[in-house]
Amino acid sequence: MVQDTLKKFHEAATSPRKQMEKYLAEGKKVVLTAPVYTPEELIHSMGFVPMGAWGADMELNRSKEYFPAFLCSIVQSILEMGIKGGYKGASAIVIPSLCDTLKTLGENWKYAVEDIKFIPMTYPQNRKPDYGIAFTKAGYERVMRDLEELGGKYDPAALSESIKIYNKHNEVMRKADEMLAAHPEITAAERSDIFKSAFFMTKEEHTALVEEFLAELDKQAAGAEKIGIVVSGILTDAPQLNEIFDEFGMHIVADDVAAQSRQYRTDAPEMDDPLQALAVKFANMDNCSVLYNVKKPRVQWIVDTAKARGAKGVVVVMTKFCDPEEFDYVMIKKACEKADLPLALVEVDRQMVHFEQVRTNLETFRDMLTF
Amino acid sequence: MAEEVKKPEEVKKPRKPLDPNSAKYKLGKIASDAFATAIEAKKQGKPVAWVSSNFPVEIPETLGLATAYPENQAAGIAARGAGERMCEVAEADGYSNDICAYARISLAYAKLKECPEQDVAMPDVLLCCNNICNCMIKWYENLSQELGIPMIMLDIPFNPDYEVSDAQVAYVTGQFWDAVHQLEDLFGLKWDDDKFQQVTGFSCRTSRAWLEATAQAKYIPSPFNGFDLLNHMAVMVTARGKEEAGEAMETLLKEYKQNHEKGESTFRAEEKHRVMFEGIACWPYLRATSRGLKDRGINMVTTIYADAFGFDYNSFDEMIRAYCSVPNAINLEKSRDKRIKLCKDNHVEGLLVHTNRSCKLWSGFMAEMSRQIGKECNIPVTSFDGDQADPRNFSEAQYDTRVQGLFEIMESNKESKEA
Repeated sequence: MVQDTLKKFHEAATSPRKQMEKYLAEGKKVVLTAPVYTPEELIHSMGFVPMGAWGADMELNRSKEYFPAFLCSIVQSILEMGIKGGYKGASAIVIPSLCDTLKTLGENWKYAVEDIKFIPMTYPQNRKPDYGIAFTKAGYERVMRDLEELGGKYDPAALSESIKIYNKHNEVMRKADEMLAAHPEITAAERSDIFKSAFFMTKEEHTALVEEFLAELDKQAAGAEKIGIVVSGILTDAPQLNEIFDEFGMHIVADDVAAQSRQYRTDAPEMDDPLQALAVKFANMDNCSVLYNVKKPRVQWIVDTAKARGAKGVVVVMTKFCDPEEFDYVMIKKACEKADLPLALVEVDRQMVHFEQVRTNLETFRDMLTF
Repeated sequence: MAEEVKKPEEVKKPRKPLDPNSAKYKLGKIASDAFATAIEAKKQGKPVAWVSSNFPVEIPETLGLATAYPENQAAGIAARGAGERMCEVAEADGYSNDICAYARISLAYAKLKECPEQDVAMPDVLLCCNNICNCMIKWYENLSQELGIPMIMLDIPFNPDYEVSDAQVAYVTGQFWDAVHQLEDLFGLKWDDDKFQQVTGFSCRTSRAWLEATAQAKYIPSPFNGFDLLNHMAVMVTARGKEEAGEAMETLLKEYKQNHEKGESTFRAEEKHRVMFEGIACWPYLRATSRGLKDRGINMVTTIYADAFGFDYNSFDEMIRAYCSVPNAINLEKSRDKRIKLCKDNHVEGLLVHTNRSCKLWSGFMAEMSRQIGKECNIPVTSFDGDQADPRNFSEAQYDTRVQGLFEIMESNKESKEA
């Protein structure tokens, strides 16, 4: 039954601690992976369970000893969780320096959470030329050395196998995104659970569950049409936000969300040297606010995808203080205006309790789209 | 109506013209010429580049490409009181007021193409280097889109390790030559190794003199007011690869040495205490931030911000490593150690931290680093909220209270020491 698998996604998405305890009890070592991208395939191949660490909706207290108030709450809540023991038991955290705030997270982590090792991952922005690919590879080797200190062992054959597992997972997630666009009866909250649970399950388990879900969904008749929207942003997992989407009959027909589809757009190619393949994967990644591209193809991607999926509008969910997204927003706004595509901007953050402003914005947007 | 009482006309002392042989005159001229030269080049149909402040100047200088520095322009605009007006232009286009105020001012200028407080030549190419922040990438991407001109990206990632790795040197070197070739192709320019050698010579000469001049704060009292450095720094940003910059910096060094010998200083008050200032200056409130210190006899003798623009090296590899080691590209430990050295070398008694709303990277691990510096140097630390260019993010009252607190602790420490 579709509902049974959706329940499993929900359970995993809402109880990451329980998931971690389960893996630890099985004698596995957990390595946390911070936003936005990390070499999960490498971590997996070296015998660890990678688990996404994107913080949590919570009040920030201890993180204020390290961060000023104007830094993004995703990063602040990751540190808060670390200090308060929310990630206790994890062996390490891999933090990439893809934005300025992430750079500071790693530096603070060393002093704030001494029992969980900080492993930096330095990606190049000029990632496509050979020298960029070589630098990505050097970054992976740096991660590898740190993981070896924790008892991991690098084996190219194991990495090739992990790449296959991750590529397969990417494929099912892309398929899920596509099929969900044709099933308005799956709510925004349920869609969020499907994506979010991927951070807290092994990819093998998650792939199996998504395949099971998709097979059942395929048999199910599509529900009544709702208002199709494309959602863009870093993180859209706040239950109150998804409730509002559902309340106003909004159906997410595609997403440009860093914690969702952006993770699964690019596969590692098949190559003799799997580490090289992983570096080439990063070189091929694009359409993201933290990946440099002077042409900003992400902007047109949003417009084209909205049109291809028949969306009535675009909702940009802005995580407060996320400057990479704030810069892109202006270009997205212009492109949507040019394409005559309605656009709404709502601001969210991890500390938000009252979503009334979001509700008002989206209610007006709904009225505009249905007028 | 009451008759208007005529106030006696204030008699202003005529300003003594600056001695053309003085460092102040020379440096001021180089700084203002930097804008004028690019405007003149543009009039003559020559290409102009907008360049980020820690981009290797050796590239445009060797190629003979006219340059303008948006950060320098934004600082000038903010210091002359137009920061808020320009920020609001960008905000009206959808830019969040959370975004770096330099970027907002620059994006506003790209739209308006004029600002009487500081005009610059419009660019034909953008030279971006993110060794100061990744915000720079997004800012220049948008400039490139808005102006429809090419952008050359020299990526120098934040280094989480203490030393620069060979892999990073190879990566940046590859980009360095790519940037050169792209500029050659775009504008028909030609790289000349001899010219490059000459430029690196000028750049190092300027940097050496600058770093030695700032190091004169080792003397008590310091032969200069640290706020002077904030003004002179413009030359380090815009012209460090020029011969006349080296000559002017050597004059500055000579003057500071002479001041020390004569027991003089450009700090026009009794130097009761010495602090290190952390962060970019609050350009809209330069006078207020300076006065708050000077009125209490506090001299800001050193700041990493000034030294950030001094690049001294003996080889190509060392040059690349120097650009990989600018203050915002290095980890907490290396950042901390550099500051501890400055504090100790310059007999600093307190640390005043500007929590700069515009700069997430600079402010993001400052709390932990300041704690470590304060502990190691046994000095009090205080911070205030401000902004490098948006006046809405600064409160003079808060600044004054914080500086007073710092002053009182330094007074008390001094009394205990003397007792």
